[in-house]
Amino acid sequence: MGMLRIMSRRGDDRITWDVQKVEAHDPEAVAAIEEAERIFEKSRREGATAFKVEAGSTVKRIDEFDRTAEQIVIVPRVVGG
Amino acid sequence: MAMLETLSLFLGIWLLFLLLAIYYLSQSPDGSVGRFRESVSGHLSAESRAKALLREMLTESQYQQLIKFGYLEIPSPSIDNRVYRVPGSGGLVKVYERGCAVMELCLQPAEPLPDGDVVVMHKLMIEGNEQEYLQKANHFAPGIISLRCQHP
Repeated sequence: MGMLRIMSRRGDDRITWDVQKVEAHDPEAVAAIEEAERIFEKSRREGATAFKVEAGSTVKRIDEFDRTAEQIVIVPRVVGG
Repeated sequence: MAMLETLSLFLGIWLLFLLLAIYYLSQSPDGSVGRFRESVSGHLSAESRAKALLREMLTESQYQQLIKFGYLEIPSPSIDNRVYRVPGSGGLVKVYERGCAVMELCLQPAEPLPDGDVVVMHKLMIEGNEQEYLQKANHFAPGIISLRCQHP
């Protein structure tokens, strides 16, 4: 299972998808991953940063949507205070 | 004595009206109390989701450190002996090298986030994007500013 988590003032919103079902062209899974990809791109355009977070490995910043990622966390645009 | 009874009666009637008004407003989605209730419940929901994310992103010892001391220490992935001390409830991030404070950093999300999410934000940025984190943050000499960062 993959998960996209988008941080916001409401806490994090989540979209999950099943990679195996996506590969099997399951319509719901395909719709979920397409929605996740759309949100990823939109957030990046707005200045957000995306991180790939996986158990047992270091956090990695990513610039492109990774369908195989266990978890992607999107942090909104940050500014120096 | 009669005066006291009259006063108590007025007070009782006034309280009854007050309670009825509060009940009426809280039942109406357009009422200000209804909106207030929604806002409070939204805030609590955001905080509980942020807390859940925090628990997932931190190890048990990191979470205990945050609960016990009110901050989370994150070792620098690229600079030896450097530690970032991220406060749990907002404020400047203190940077220590070999145990000595060397600077304080102020970096905040452009949109307000629950406190738990802000801690996760610092952790992800330090661990996954330290150079950009340092580039974007405002740097201060240690101890100069101790006020919490305010959102614009």
